Amino acid sequence: MSFAFETWVLFVRSIKKLIRTPILLFFALFQPIIFLVLFTQLFGSFGSLLSQKAGYVGVSYLSFATAGIVLQNGFSSALQSGTSVVDDLTSGFLEKVLVTPVNRAAILLGRLLSDAFRVVVQSAIILALAYLLGADMATGAVGVLLIFLIIAFFGLAWSGISLAIGLKTKSSETVFGLGGIVTFPLLFMSTALVPTSLMPSWMQTVSNFNPITYAVNAVRALTITGFDWGTVLEAFGVIGLIAVVTLGATLYLFRKVVS
Amino acid sequence: MEDVISVDKLQVIYSDGTKAVDGINFDVKEGEFFGFLGPNGAGKSTTIKVLTTLLRKTAGNATVFGHDISSHAKDIRPLIGVQSQDTVVDGDLSGRENMVLQGNLHGMRGKELDARVDELLKLVELTDVADRRAAYYSGGMKKRLDLASSLVHKPKLLFLDEPTTGLDPQSRAGVWKYMRRLNKEEGITIFLTTQYLEEADRLCDRLAIIDHGQIVASGTPSELKDEIGADAITLAAEGNSGGALTVKQVLQGIPGIGEIVEGEGGITIYAKNASTMVPDIVRAFDSSGLRLVSINLSRPSLDDVFLKHTGHRIRAEELVKPPSRMIGRFGRRR
Repeated sequence: MSFAFETWVLFVRSIKKLIRTPILLFFALFQPIIFLVLFTQLFGSFGSLLSQKAGYVGVSYLSFATAGIVLQNGFSSALQSGTSVVDDLTSGFLEKVLVTPVNRAAILLGRLLSDAFRVVVQSAIILALAYLLGADMATGAVGVLLIFLIIAFFGLAWSGISLAIGLKTKSSETVFGLGGIVTFPLLFMSTALVPTSLMPSWMQTVSNFNPITYAVNAVRALTITGFDWGTVLEAFGVIGLIAVVTLGATLYLFRKVVS
Repeated sequence: MEDVISVDKLQVIYSDGTKAVDGINFDVKEGEFFGFLGPNGAGKSTTIKVLTTLLRKTAGNATVFGHDISSHAKDIRPLIGVQSQDTVVDGDLSGRENMVLQGNLHGMRGKELDARVDELLKLVELTDVADRRAAYYSGGMKKRLDLASSLVHKPKLLFLDEPTTGLDPQSRAGVWKYMRRLNKEEGITIFLTTQYLEEADRLCDRLAIIDHGQIVASGTPSELKDEIGADAITLAAEGNSGGALTVKQVLQGIPGIGEIVEGEGGITIYAKNASTMVPDIVRAFDSSGLRLVSINLSRPSLDDVFLKHTGHRIRAEELVKPPSRMIGRFGRRR
């Protein structure tokens, strides 16, 4: 009971910090919105190629790319979340929390849940905007909730990596820089913006090993095809695997820092 | 009286080989205002980190309220309050929210917590600004908020790591007032570290002087000063080109001169009847060919105690410390 309470209290603290600096949310959303509004227009003619060669008959490029843009945002936001733990480390806040009897795992969980929450809020805004611009939403409200769930797990898993890097390097700049370097290559070599069948063959191979691909495929299925449970479960499986590794590493490094 | 803190041959060695704390022994009794006086890097903060369960000791033993710091850290945490050297408040939260969060982390909630927070806000005179974001507070206000938030759970023992470093004199006097009130009126045992002689002298019932990880002297402030047993004469002199005698030699030739300690900024002599010796000193210099630049007479201070035991003076950093965003607080322990 006290574990849940402590996690909640620390979660709320992170959320308050988020709400009170809304400019950060704006910065985070700026890039995906540019993609949604400009990029999909720029590549609008790509839609016919999708119909003819990739089996996405009658699907606009906007509808196709929405899933990719949502996950791009989730990925890059989650990869920045380590900066907040660096802030808490360097400001002494973490130390102040650690001298209280609070459960150590609650500190980590509160942080991760708030990161996941942030990514879901951002995704909701992007999805709403995409819908207004005319993107498909094949599975309605239930599908959207499922998308949120996928994104929350996806965010949780990648936040773990970011937190681990933050705890290891104690440098916001490193976390920030690494996130920036990793995001686009991994994104381009996934199905986020282009289906596998239209990629050069070496990239198809990379894409098939790219975890982003699986999350994108699930969200894409839910936005333009329907409840494709196979794809959705596959996504949860892949994300779950990443989460086990990243959260394990985070827990290990956190233990090292706090003991 | 029962020992609140008991430390036996405590040693902390960092992985780079630095002996931050090198075999110290001391104890703090219930209700005492106990101080660690020493310059930067003497081992004060390291000792606090070990006693507050944040850092592992290398060797030796220590207990807080009878609980071993290594094996029973969980029993210690609910009983202690800590104010670290850097002021730690969350600027995005209001003063009240900072305090409520701290209470929550100690398992407090509801009306009991609200009442306690109100009481403490009043104590540190922040009631009027309690609902403003702490980022807008002045340095002194943040320090008071930090102090108050370390008291929410009614700790029986409070660790204060250089609580007034970087504060202006007025804010410092304010913090002193609260610290004294907490100790005398609320009966909280206080462990204070400081590099300010005046602070240690005024507040502490008992203190230990620490330098290079070792305790060089301990006792009540007046015990320590009486130990000097003499007044201090500090003087500075300039050599003459042809002068064959050093300043020290001149002084040694004067009858009745006690210990002579050379330090930065001059030479300090300890003598029983210092005031009657000044004319002798002046005369001795006149005939020596050395020029006496200044001469100063003072009752022994803790600085003299420090000088006597370590051979150098405490140089307190009067300047405001670098911003707390600097990295490396945790890094040191590896």
